[in-house]
Amino acid sequence: MTDRFESILDESISALQAGVPIEDILAEVPDYAAELRPLLYAATLVANPNPELIPDERKAVLRAEYLQQAADLTPITPTYREKLKAVTRIIKRRTSRQAVVSDLVTITVTVILTLAMVAVILNFMAADSIPGDFLYGIKRSSENIQLIFTLSEERQQALIDEFNNRRIDEIDKLIEENRAAVVEFRGTLEARGEDLWIVEGYNISLPPDVDLEGDPQEGNRVEVIGLLRKNNLIVADSIKKID
Amino acid sequence: MEDELSLLERIKRHDQQALAEVHDRYFDKLYHYLSYRLGDSEAAADLAGEVFLALIRALKRNNPPKTSLTGWLYAVARNLAADYIKKQVNTVPLLEDFAADEPSLADQAYLSQLAPTIKAALVKLTEEQQHVIALRFGQGLSLAETAQIMDKSVGAVKALQHRALASLARFMPSEIDYDG
Repeated sequence: MTDRFESILDESISALQAGVPIEDILAEVPDYAAELRPLLYAATLVANPNPELIPDERKAVLRAEYLQQAADLTPITPTYREKLKAVTRIIKRRTSRQAVVSDLVTITVTVILTLAMVAVILNFMAADSIPGDFLYGIKRSSENIQLIFTLSEERQQALIDEFNNRRIDEIDKLIEENRAAVVEFRGTLEARGEDLWIVEGYNISLPPDVDLEGDPQEGNRVEVIGLLRKNNLIVADSIKKID
Repeated sequence: MEDELSLLERIKRHDQQALAEVHDRYFDKLYHYLSYRLGDSEAAADLAGEVFLALIRALKRNNPPKTSLTGWLYAVARNLAADYIKKQVNTVPLLEDFAADEPSLADQAYLSQLAPTIKAALVKLTEEQQHVIALRFGQGLSLAETAQIMDKSVGAVKALQHRALASLARFMPSEIDYDG
């Protein structure tokens, strides 16, 4: 009981020193209030919130007297052994368990914060990239991470649709810039010829070794992965029915 | 700011700059401590000056503080205060500015009712209890800081603080109505 009471007393004193009124402190610990009350009043009475300052002149005189006496001391040059001892002590302090843990925590926090900052900057820079750009992989990785951490199925589907709209925009931009690149998108199969299909308005060429999955028919939603050529034709690598 | 251990190493080598820094760093704290213990600012200034001269003497005798400079300085101040108090007849430490920051009316009433008694009671505590009260409430030091200066465990200081406040509380008149 004593240990517990002493801890409560000390916490109450800390609250008192922080300006909390005695009765508010006691209300927090009603079981101990009767015993605490006189002690806290005693603590209030012996507190010294405004210590008296010594006049500067008096302090200066005492300091001068002290320094005059100190000046009589002969400086001591440390021996080689003392220097070695001092260095050893510093090394010992730096390699103590507490110092090592503290250093590790500092390093870890610094690395995490730096990586987080770099990730935010790269993500920002990659936002407008299109397939074939140096930062495009970061844009896609960031989207995948977003999907992994989205638990709601409804929200996940909304994100998939949003990302697919980006893929379509990227293809339009590639066509506009007359660039070739590997593309991936989802869309409706609008027309199905023997070796030429139209998906979401894009002409898709089907080479003999194309990977077809699910026997997609006109009107079905499909996922296309292929190479967009400079003639605006997408040579399919795989087409998968997703309905 | 340079840590205490490095400062101690430098004063052991009689480094004049370090010796000046010790005075600048500790004088006010020791003066406040002594002023609280003695209730006499003039005597407190004299004894604070004496603490630093004691440090010079210890260095001259090649008997400097071993591990804790703060602990050593407060120990000297404590001994000087105890000797001074012993020599004073009918001296009661003064706590002129005892009131808490903007206390409520109820608290003020209690304070004025209890102040003379509690002031008188302070000197009736053991010397060690007076020391802990001066450090914790006069200097506003934390438990850990007080424990370091007194070279005791935090638990021991907690217990000492409890006993000191309980002793003071016992000196309060029994007719006081705490519930207002």
